[in-house]
Amino acid sequence: MSSTIEVKNLAKVFRVPEKSPGLRGALSSLFFRKFREIWAVKELSFSIQKGELVGFLGANGAGKTTTLKMLSGLLHPTSGQVQVLGFTPHQRRIQFLKQISLVMGQRSQLWWEIPAQETLKLNKEIFELGDSEYQETLSELVEVLELQECLDIPVKRLSLGQRMKAELCAALLHRPSLLLLDEPTLGLDVVMQKKMRQFIREYNQRYRATILLTSHNMDDVVALCDRVIIIERGQMLYDGELNRVVERYAPHKLMTVDFQSVVDTERVAALGKIVSNGGSRMVLEIPRKEVSSVASRLLSQFPVVDLTITETPLDDVVRRIFTRTLEK
Amino acid sequence: MKKYFYVFSLSLQQAMQHRASLLMDRVRSVALLLSLYFLWSALMQNQDSFLGYSRTQMLSYVLCMNLLRAFVLSTHAWDMVGEISSGRISSYLLRPIRYFGFCLARDFSQKVVFLGSALLEVFLLLWCLRATVYFPGSWRSVFFFFVAVWGAFFMYFFLAFLVSSLAFWTSESAGPLFCFELLLQFTAGVFFPLDVLPPYVQGWLHVLPFPYLIYFPLSIYLEKLPLSSILHGFMMQGVWMVILGWVAAGVWRKGLRVYMAEGG
Repeated sequence: MSSTIEVKNLAKVFRVPEKSPGLRGALSSLFFRKFREIWAVKELSFSIQKGELVGFLGANGAGKTTTLKMLSGLLHPTSGQVQVLGFTPHQRRIQFLKQISLVMGQRSQLWWEIPAQETLKLNKEIFELGDSEYQETLSELVEVLELQECLDIPVKRLSLGQRMKAELCAALLHRPSLLLLDEPTLGLDVVMQKKMRQFIREYNQRYRATILLTSHNMDDVVALCDRVIIIERGQMLYDGELNRVVERYAPHKLMTVDFQSVVDTERVAALGKIVSNGGSRMVLEIPRKEVSSVASRLLSQFPVVDLTITETPLDDVVRRIFTRTLEK
Repeated sequence: MKKYFYVFSLSLQQAMQHRASLLMDRVRSVALLLSLYFLWSALMQNQDSFLGYSRTQMLSYVLCMNLLRAFVLSTHAWDMVGEISSGRISSYLLRPIRYFGFCLARDFSQKVVFLGSALLEVFLLLWCLRATVYFPGSWRSVFFFFVAVWGAFFMYFFLAFLVSSLAFWTSESAGPLFCFELLLQFTAGVFFPLDVLPPYVQGWLHVLPFPYLIYFPLSIYLEKLPLSSILHGFMMQGVWMVILGWVAAGVWRKGLRVYMAEGG
């Protein structure tokens, strides 16, 4: 089966000007400007099959958005190969552009001064959609995204959430078979976030669309993605099932213990690191291999009422990975 | 083609929304028109002709210059600079529309608005001052005039596109654009007909593309050029159109390679 996205040894280097601090630095940079090379993406390889919904994770500056921009053809790669839907993205062939959509939370394709419906009509012409096709998709999107009230109001008067929905509507009007979403729930309230997730899932299933999304909101990733790609400083750190991330990157499990009465903290601490201490309820962090032995010692040495063993929450694991990246 | 027409229509709608900006642009234009009109009127107060121009011809030069300036020299190039440096251009690059065509349609909408407004200004001025304007004696001159105006239209479009594309390399291309506009207005013949300059300066200027934007079409309209000079002018317009179009397309392609798609 041919892949929708095929990336091999992809790299992108940005050349950014360097300026020494202060007025002297400003003056010297006026005449002698120094540049520094930054590897935003380095030797990145992965492939994504048709219909997959993949989470693309990484700390700030890890290279996620740069990769999405290369996949959509906005940026020319410095080296490596990218094939998307059988096309080389940066050649920006009309047939390629008709099949993709990149939605960036902080970027708008809507015309600011005029109602969103005008941009939608413009997109109808740009993507050469037939009247019935346009009407059908539009009414479907308007209903699901609850946009009925927003379309005839100038875009600048819409709230962030309304604008985001209108943005998504404009991006999906041509029913792209590849959707690149950069922080799709950024700035939305909890209810709207949930609806947006539901919509993305439905869109993926209904049209067998391939979706690659970046998000700092782990709820998005947990709700939508079976597979995640984690990158660190532009390089691949992990590519696989979401469930396995915890196993691989969390060496501990969490043990929540309810005691009959308040117990000696020092004795409990000898068995494992106490993460939270509520008197008769404690949460311990126990190395995976020691879980059963610690559990039996707790049960035999303390008046235990209840004991639960859970995995470290995914967002904690990912946060740790990101923190480690930033500390490096 | 329909998509570009829709861009034209949306840009027209957007221009109507920016009423204050449109008004200020036109006030600036009327101020220039009035100053030039009164300057030339004062210079020609006690004489029938000055530097080879009759009173009517000079007045017509000033009035027609206002119309040509509105049609030929109006552009959205400043928007393009902002779109490149802020990364807003990405939203056009991601859709199946040619940015070149998009800009042409958007510029055309501004030209329509500006020309409509300039026509009104000129008619008002003519009515207020009870002035007479020069009309060409032959239809051939009118025809050549319109051909030259369209040539100037495309030359300027390519030129503005080229200068705006510099924003791919420098975020401060508003500076070059400002200098370019000032130099251009001077050398295109906005402030005065170029044949009042010393011959050697004229010789140099006529190698550049600028005189063919305003001065050349107006000289045809005022029937100050023999046929051979008109044909030479058309040839220069053609050569510059090809050169500017080719360089603009090349710079655009190179610009896309270094584009950083900032923001987002």
